[in-house]
Formats: sequence, structure tokens, C-alpha cells
Amino acid sequence: MSYRAGFDVGGTFTDFVVYDDATGKSHIGKTMTTPDDPTRGVMTGLRQLLERLGISFADLTQALHATTLATNAILERSGSQTALVTTKGFRDVLQIGRQRRNDLYNIFVDRVAPIIDRELIWEVAERINASGDIVTPLDENEARRVAEEIAARGVRSVAVCFLHAYQNSKHEEMMKDVLADAVGGAFVSISSQISPRYREYERANTTSVNAYLMPTIHEYLGKLEGLLSQAGYGGDLYIMQSNGGIMTAKEAAKFPVRLIESGPAAGALMAARYGAMVSQPNVIAFDMGGTTAKVTLIDDGDPLVTDQLEVDRVNAREGSGLVLNAPSVDLVEIGAGGGSIAQVADGTLKVGPQSASSVPGPACYGRGGTRPTVTDANLVLGYLDANYFLGGEMPLDSEAARSAIAEHVGKPLDLDVTEAAWGIYEVVTQNMALATQVVSVGRGKDPRDYTFISFGGAGPLHGARLARLLGCNTFLSPAGAGATSAFGLIMSEPLFNLSQTRVMRLAKFEPQIVSALFQKMEDDARALLLGTKVAGNWQFAYRADMKFVGQGHELNVLLGSEAKAAQNPDEMRQSFLSLYRETYGHAPDNLPVEVTSWRLSARCRVPAMRFERCDAKAYDVHKAKRTTRPAYFPEAGGFIDTPVYDRYRLGAGHTIMGPAIIEERESTVVVLPGDHATIDEFGNLNVELSYDETKSLSAAKRDHKVEQREAQLV
Amino acid sequence: MVDPITLSVVWGALISIGEQMGVALARTAHSNAVKDGYDFSAAVFDAEGRLVAQGDFSPGHLGAMLYTVKHVLGYYPPDQLNDGDAIIVNDPWMGTGHFPDITMVSPVFVDGTLVGLVANTAHHVDVGGAVPGSQIVEGVIEYFQEGLRILPVKCWEAGKENEQIIRLLTANVRLPIPFLGDLRAQANANRVGVQRFSALAKRYGAGVITNVMAAILEKGEASMRQALAVLPAGEYAFEDYLDDWGQGTPPIKVKVTAKIGGGEILLDFTGSDPQTESGLNSYINYTRAYGICAVRCVTIPSIPHNEGVARPIKFSVPEGSFFNPKPPAGGSSRATINVRIYDAVMGALSKAAPDRVMAGLSHWSNPNISGIERSTGRNFIFYDLVMGGTGARPTKDGIEAMSAPFNAANIPVEVQEANTPLLVERIELIPDSGGAGKYRGGLGLRKDIRVFGDQIRLVNLTDRCRFAPFGLFGGGKGKVGRTLVQKDGSETTVHSKSTTRLVEENVISFQVSGGGGYGNARERDVEAVRRDVLRGCVSIEGARRDYGVVIDPSTKMVDLSGTATARSAMSS
Repeated sequence: MSYRAGFDVGGTFTDFVVYDDATGKSHIGKTMTTPDDPTRGVMTGLRQLLERLGISFADLTQALHATTLATNAILERSGSQTALVTTKGFRDVLQIGRQRRNDLYNIFVDRVAPIIDRELIWEVAERINASGDIVTPLDENEARRVAEEIAARGVRSVAVCFLHAYQNSKHEEMMKDVLADAVGGAFVSISSQISPRYREYERANTTSVNAYLMPTIHEYLGKLEGLLSQAGYGGDLYIMQSNGGIMTAKEAAKFPVRLIESGPAAGALMAARYGAMVSQPNVIAFDMGGTTAKVTLIDDGDPLVTDQLEVDRVNAREGSGLVLNAPSVDLVEIGAGGGSIAQVADGTLKVGPQSASSVPGPACYGRGGTRPTVTDANLVLGYLDANYFLGGEMPLDSEAARSAIAEHVGKPLDLDVTEAAWGIYEVVTQNMALATQVVSVGRGKDPRDYTFISFGGAGPLHGARLARLLGCNTFLSPAGAGATSAFGLIMSEPLFNLSQTRVMRLAKFEPQIVSALFQKMEDDARALLLGTKVAGNWQFAYRADMKFVGQGHELNVLLGSEAKAAQNPDEMRQSFLSLYRETYGHAPDNLPVEVTSWRLSARCRVPAMRFERCDAKAYDVHKAKRTTRPAYFPEAGGFIDTPVYDRYRLGAGHTIMGPAIIEERESTVVVLPGDHATIDEFGNLNVELSYDETKSLSAAKRDHKVEQREAQLV
Repeated sequence: MVDPITLSVVWGALISIGEQMGVALARTAHSNAVKDGYDFSAAVFDAEGRLVAQGDFSPGHLGAMLYTVKHVLGYYPPDQLNDGDAIIVNDPWMGTGHFPDITMVSPVFVDGTLVGLVANTAHHVDVGGAVPGSQIVEGVIEYFQEGLRILPVKCWEAGKENEQIIRLLTANVRLPIPFLGDLRAQANANRVGVQRFSALAKRYGAGVITNVMAAILEKGEASMRQALAVLPAGEYAFEDYLDDWGQGTPPIKVKVTAKIGGGEILLDFTGSDPQTESGLNSYINYTRAYGICAVRCVTIPSIPHNEGVARPIKFSVPEGSFFNPKPPAGGSSRATINVRIYDAVMGALSKAAPDRVMAGLSHWSNPNISGIERSTGRNFIFYDLVMGGTGARPTKDGIEAMSAPFNAANIPVEVQEANTPLLVERIELIPDSGGAGKYRGGLGLRKDIRVFGDQIRLVNLTDRCRFAPFGLFGGGKGKVGRTLVQKDGSETTVHSKSTTRLVEENVISFQVSGGGGYGNARERDVEAVRRDVLRGCVSIEGARRDYGVVIDPSTKMVDLSGTATARSAMSS
């Protein structure tokens, strides 16, 4: 017997999946998150699920974990007291940041507070230049004095970031040793290890956040490992990183800054794997929850990974948060969720980014919320059933939804309740479409080449409409997707993204230096992969950040899967030019090109998992129909009597013509008029989107295809 | 008539077009100014050249584009425009006020009909003229000395680059490759805008889009009128001075009278000094741009910007004055004026809306350093932005180290040092430089740069070295700024608008002023003063002198009785 267990600790719920290697069958569990000590919820929930299945902890071969602990520690500023040591003259590197305003005309705007206060930042005389040469040697006496002062403050964790340490780490390593001597038991994070890339603010910030999180994450993971082992689990604990790959808990404790998007990464990975399951390697993953929606592009089976992320934003506003050099699945997050509040300002309708959250929640929750939200609109439009929310556990108050919408949207805009609710639905869907275009069309990708997979509590309500706005051909809603991204965990693989800044013009290419850089990264990658003890095929991808000399933004160019791919500057130039053309539409051919950072991504491919096939249809699809209710479809002229299906009674091969509503416990799928839905052999709902106007009776939303054809010319 | 939902949806899409044009521009640009400094803008216009939506980038550009695009339509009426055209202009009077800013305008056609235009403006690092960087104050008599002047011309025709114009342009600039790189990045941004705009118009129909754009302008105007109507009617005057316009010149008087009434505001600059015979003058579009920006901040900061919003904001600026010079007056160095236009309008409005204004901003420094790199023999031009904090606000301190309303970003030191032969020795907040007050002004910023190479020239450009940023309602002034050069073991002051020759290993220290305070310093929370002392933003002496707060140097605890005595002495 061998089983794998995945658990995802979210803000409200902790989700579990246990997968049986022998049968390909998955089992789901759910429990309340215990914020004071998340290990309690994990152990209780997992024990209950295992007991239900009649197996023990000793039967588990892998335990895989996604956590929001790192993110919460930043958002709530509940990390440990942390100091920063930096180059003389650069004490204010965190405070200065990049200085742009995130809200142009608002004089009351504030910037995110630096993670380390000025009071806990020390300078040491030392200097390395852009070539990595030592201009001023580290003043070791001063270093010791600083270390002693830090020790005297009772600080638990220290970040060290010296200028140009990405070129030469000597001074940082010396400082680390001095600190280790002076501050007993302290955690030390040095920038040349955490993020050896140029741009001092981003590197210092990344290192500081890592240091800030280290004690908390170290303790938490240590405790969880201990509890699992006491319970009889004999394997390693694996943690989901922001990049969509796993690493061991021991490694995670050293690099907690890599865990910020742990949960969302597991979600994106789940969408990628569902896509692969149905032979659709290109996926737009759309995760819409209570407060925000997240969009990730998946190309050729794996989520796109970027080298930066931003955490602790104000109202999802770009530039308002902490920028971190941490490889992350390329998430665009916008303030659009079920709880997003609709309001009228100057005769126009705005939805989000303010959210009613779960307290007081949407008006229909009856918990004191009076402002209309997206969930209220979905209820009024007939997409949600007041008596079947969370499987009926939480009755909704339709009247409260109607009066909130009438009061705050209908009256000021002179619309009836239905028109107002439809307005909320349309505006929020449009907001999400615009955000998705930024990562798709805006990057030279054509959404028609992608399957749209939606999940999260509110995702399947908006998925079909959004997919149509984007011009996708297929919309897929996995079974149980509203409940858990823990599915993504059991299908995860070790992945490490290493990088090193070394600016080099292709015209002055130095093969030995490049070869040595990659050799070092390969050695590190091999050690990391071996450390995971996961069996599989190792795959390396050699990449370079390239730009025209003088240009500011690099493109991340795939060179190849072997080290020799990074030895041919002519081919590298061609790869860069072709990606540049693909991204920006044209490429000047007479300009010098340079590399700024070299990258290696190292992945351990594990054999594809077998999944239990879903039962074939056992009866006519009409038996799965629970009821009908009026739901609003403007292309059909308003409310029409719409069949409502019980998802748990649908089997492989069942087909449904839209309009239809398909309900399961945690989410509801809306199928639009003219669309054709099929249950596939894995239980996914596959919807072919129709752009046929006569079929969909669509008058308002015409010509998406033309738009997308134009769009790809960007 | 447009239904409110379509209006909301299309409006959002138009704003998103402006933002995406800006992203495309920043990502493909070649100069530090654009790619790292964010010195650019992008916006969307209706068929008559009225700004309907923008990405929130530089308000100086955006405010000027309200007028520039109409000038372009004057040269090229719709029947002379074709799909794929891109018209460029940098005339100071039609554009943003100085040559380095090149505005590019492209038409958007749907089924052969002009439905709108898109435009962007970018600051080019050099457009020729007397000095590298094309920004100079001293010695300018007329703008012909400041670089290449471009009246509206089609630089791209039906999608094809006009090689002859490009040849003419690149022959007149010092760094032709980055210049052309930035120009093409601008063309690329417009391509993105045209494509997205026409797709939107096709989806909803050109008629709907046109109606939406008209509604946007109406709504914008109504919002501004409503906000202005709430302010107490009256005339509110404010006076201040710029330091000077070069070595040995007198201060420049800035006078603004804000006349509010009937849902409109008139910003009357009568009483300000005449235009100067230098590169320091603010052409009318620039004056309007920052005047509009300041009024917006006080009235309706969260409404998306468009021409309608600007309509109720009127200007009266005597021709031939510093704020409305007559061509061919010099204007290359006007970037240092933007803070002062904003400040003066804020100062005037502080009397009408005391709870929604900011005290005097920390100034900034916008120097160009040029020379020849020894190892390669190549020319370099290095454009920097040294930016301090903002003025204090009615409920909070000023923001530390935050760009003033021109909304630029700094350029990372590690990027500067990788591209240019210099070593940055420090960037730090200047203690005690923020104006004291119940709410303290943001601190000034100091940046020290050691230079290397031959024929090194510093063209300095800053202000507030004589006339400090003002406080409001009892708040103190910020500390004035200065520029120093350390050479041969001695330190000399460099004038704020001078051109200086330097040699290898000289160190320039840019020290910009601190922001003004808001409210009486005696009322500042004692614990806030102590926190400032612990953080090194205020010295122990400063705490006592400026705030009457006595702090024990060894324990860093507040001496309460000493504080009470000191504070009562301050009040008498």
C-alpha cells in the first residue's frame, strides 16, 4: 500500500487529498484552519481522513504541504524582530525603494512600511564595484562592533546586503561569520545566497523578508515534521514553493521567501495538470475566491514562472507592495472576488477592489453586510441557489441581496434590480478580462490557443463568460475544483530556479566564465534535487535574461536543455531576436545584445499519475437534473427557465446544452446559451464555447474572434 | 445616450489601453530616463483630439497632451491621416515645454473612419543643442541653442518608418542609437494602443465608443464642477520665489491667485515675474499641466483623468511671463519648475481647503553628468533623479523619499554603476531637514557620486537652495538644499543651475531640501518625536530646538518635565 497526502492550509479551511497509488483514487477532506497553531488543524484533519480510509501515517510515502503562513506573517507583520546590515552610505535602501507613487493624485497615499525599521539597520564600511572588485575592504573591527550591537538588541534574525554582492560574495560571507560568532543562535540571510541579482533595493528587500520570516517558518516546519514523524510518517515533508515546484521542509526553512505564493502556486499547478489530463497543455488558470481573482498562464504543461513578485499591495495596486526577487508562478492578482463590493461613483459602476470579505460578508450572508457584492449579483441573477450554497449549509437571503443592489446600484443608476445585478456581473467580468489580457495578449499570446480552466469558489460562475470575452474555445471546470488546490500538491514535482547576475555583451562573449557560472549552478541544482530524494528524470533548462545594450527590461530567453546551448553567442542572439519579435511585434536587427543574468531551472520529472476514471453515464442525463429555476441570460432576452444539474450525478459521456446550471457543494458552473458541455472520462466538465450568433442569440457581444485576431498582432 | 454599464465597461477598457501603452513603452525603451525613471506618458483621445483616458504616468506630459494633440490635428486634419501613421512633435509651445520630450500621435481608424487617437510622450536623454542632455539654464538666450526643434511631422507613414526624417533626427543628437531605440519604443506603444482601441471599437461599434467618450468628458466635467462648487468661493493668493535663473541672477517671483466660484477655478499667475533670458521658463502647457494636477489632488483625486475634468480649471497667465513665455524663449530646464507650480497652487488652495492640501514639497535634483569613459573612449550621458520626501499632510507626516507629483522612479545604483563610470558613495535621508510641525515634512535626500573619466561636465539643475519649502498652519519650513563638490580635499558649493567641469575622483554631493511641516510643532505627539530620534530622522538637539521635546541622550527616554518647560517656552 502506498499513498500520498497533500494538505493546503488556507485562511479559512485546510484541505486534504489522499491519493492511492495502487488504484489512482483520490480522497478529499476538509477542516477549519487553526490560525493560532496551523499544525493542529493539519494533524487533526489528516488523522481523521486517514482513519476514514482505514490507513495509517506509516502507509504514506509522501506528505506535501502548501501554506499561507509566510504571506500572513508579512501581511500581519507578525514575523520576528530582524536587523539589516548594509554598505556604508546605504542605510536607507529599504526606505527609499524605487520612489514611484502608486496613486498619482492622492496626497494621502502611503507606501508600504519597510519590513525592517531604520532603527534596526546598521552600516559597515566596505565596497565592491560593479565588476566585483573590492574597492574598500570590509572593516572587520566595525563589523564586530555592529554584530555586538545587534546581539545586544536581542534580534533573532539578521539580513546582510552589500552593494554588488551578486558579483562578489566575499564580504557578505565574512559578515555572516562575524554575526554567527557574536549573535548566538541567530539566523543570518545574505543577499548573495538569497538573490544574487543586481538592483539593490529589490535584492535587499528580498533578503530582509527572508530573514524576517526565517524564525517563524523554521519553528513551524520543524514542529510539523516532528508531529508527522511521531504519528508514524517515515518520509520527508515537502513544501510547495511560489514557483510551482516542491522542496524539502529543511530547504524551505532556509529560503522562506520562496513560500509567499505557496497556495496559489498549488492551484495553478492543479490547473496545469488537469489540462495535461485532457491533452490541453496550454491553459489559462483562473482562480476566483472571496476577495481576489488570480490568473496564471500555463504554456506546454507548466505554469509560467517569473522572477519577481509583489506582496502586501494596497487594493491590488501595482507598485504599492513589497517587491521580491522570488521565482513565482506568473500570477496576475486583481481585487475581484465574490465579496467585491459594487458602488456607484459619478454615475458609473465600480466593482472592487474593496471586499466585504467573510465578515460582514455579502448582504445575502445575513451577517450584517449591507453593501452589494458580486455574490449578491449572482444570487439575484439566479446563478446561485439560496438554499444550496455550500451544499445547503449556509442559506442565503435573496431579499437582502436584492435590496442592497437596489439601494446602492439600481437607484443611483436608475436601473431595475436585475439590470443592476447584471451590471455588477458584467463589470467584474470585464475587469478580470482586462487583467487576463495583460498576461496574454499583452505578452504576445493568443488566448484562442488556450483552454480556460476556472476554479475557486466563484470561478466557475464567471468562467464561461470570461472565456468568451477572451476568445478561448474551451472552458473546463474540474470536479471538486471549488474545494481544493491540494490536488495540485499530489501532482507536484521538485523545481528549482537558480540565477546569477553577470552582465556580458554577446560581442564580448566569454565562454569560460559562462561555463563556470553554469557549472556552479548545476552543482547546486544537483545537490538540491538529490536532497529531495524524489525519483524521476532530471530536466535542466538553460536560460538567459537578455536585452539590447542600453535597454532596461530583459526578456527571459530559453537557450536549451544542455549547457552547450549557452556557449553559442550567435544562436543566443537569434533566440533573443525571435522572442523579442514574438513579444513586441518587431525587433531592430542592428543593435548589440547583452546578457544580464544567467538562469538554470532544474526539475525532477516524475511519471504521470494515473487517475481513476469516472463512472460512465449510468442513465439518461435528465436523471441528473435536480430542478429548474429562472436564470438571467441577456442573449435570451432575460430570465429563462434554466435546468439545474447535480454534478455528483453526472457521469462520463453526459452532454448538456446551455443554458444550464451545474451545482456541486463548493461551486456552481454556469453554462451559457449555445454552449455545449460534456463530462469527460475524468469527471471534468468540458464546455465548448459558441461564438455562433444565431445559436447563442447573442446580439451585444459580437465579433470576439476579429478582436483576438487583431490582438495577436501586438 | 449610453447605458451606465456599457459606459463603465468601455471606460475601464480605455484606461487599460493607456496603461498597456505605457508598459510597452517602458519595456522596449533604451534610455534610463524612460525605462527606469518612468519619464513618459500615454493616453487615449477622441476623434477631435480630446483626452478621454490615460495611464497615470507623468502629469507634466499628460497635462500638456491635452493641447498637443489638437495642435497635431491642426497640421494633419483627419483627411490627411492614415492607418499606421505616427506624427512626432517636440515644439515647446505646442508640447510639454522642452525639446527632450517628444510626443507621438497616431490615429485609430475603424472601417475607414477616424474614431480616436492615441499618443505618448517620452523624455529623450539628448536631443542635441549646447550641452549633453539638452537641459541647461545659463547662457541660453533662445531655444535654438537647446537642441533640435520638431514641428509635427509624420515619422511613420502607413506603418512605414520615414528614413529621411530619421536620418535628419539622428544626425542632430549625441547618442543616436538610444535615441532611435526610444523613438521606436514610442512607435511600438502607439501600435499597441491603436490595435487595442480599434478592437474595442469593433466590438462595441464605433458609434457606441464615440458616445462613451462624449459621456466620459461630460462626467469628468460634472465631477470637477461639483467638487469645486463645494469649496468656499473667493480669491486665495499665494507667493513664493524660485532661487534664481543662474549664477548672479535675482530670484523669480511666483504668484498665484486661485479664484473659485460658480463651479470653476481660475488660476491667475498675474504678478509673477517676466520670462527669463535662460533655459528656465515654463511654457504655458507645462504651467497648465501642473496647475491642473494640483487642483485635482485637492478636489477629486480618485476620478480617472480626462479633458472634461480639466475644463472647469481656467488659466490666466500673462504672455511673456515666466509661466507663459513667448517663443523662442529657452525652456529646456523647466523640469525643476514643476514642483513649484504645484506648490504654489497648493499654497493658494490651502486657504480654501486646509484639510486636503500638502505643505511645500522637498525639491529634487535633475542633473546631467557627461564625459568620456577612459576604458572604452565612449561618450556617456548620465541623467539622474535625486528625490526627497513630500510636504506634511493634514493628518500625517510627509512621505519619505517619494517622488513629487511628476511621478518618476529612481535608477538603481547597481544599474547606474554597471552602465556609467561612477561610484555612488551614499544615498540617505538628511536628519533634521524636514519642516517641524504637528506633522513633520518628509526629509531631504543626499546622494554622493564619485565620477571617473575625462571631460566630465556636470549640468546641475535644482532649486530650493535659498527659499525653503513652506510649512502650513504653523508648520516649519524644510531645510534648504545644496550641491557640493569635493575636490583636492576641499569642498565647494556648486550653484543650483550652473555647468561645472570636473575631473576624475571628484565627488558631487546632491543634497535636496526637506518638505515643509503642517501645524504647530508644539502639538506634535511626544512619542512621535522620540520615534524620529530613535530612527535617526531628528537629532536630540533638533527634538529640543524644533519640537521642545527633551530626550535623555543615554536612555533615549523623554524628560517629561523638561519637555513641558521647553514647550511652554516655545509658546511664549
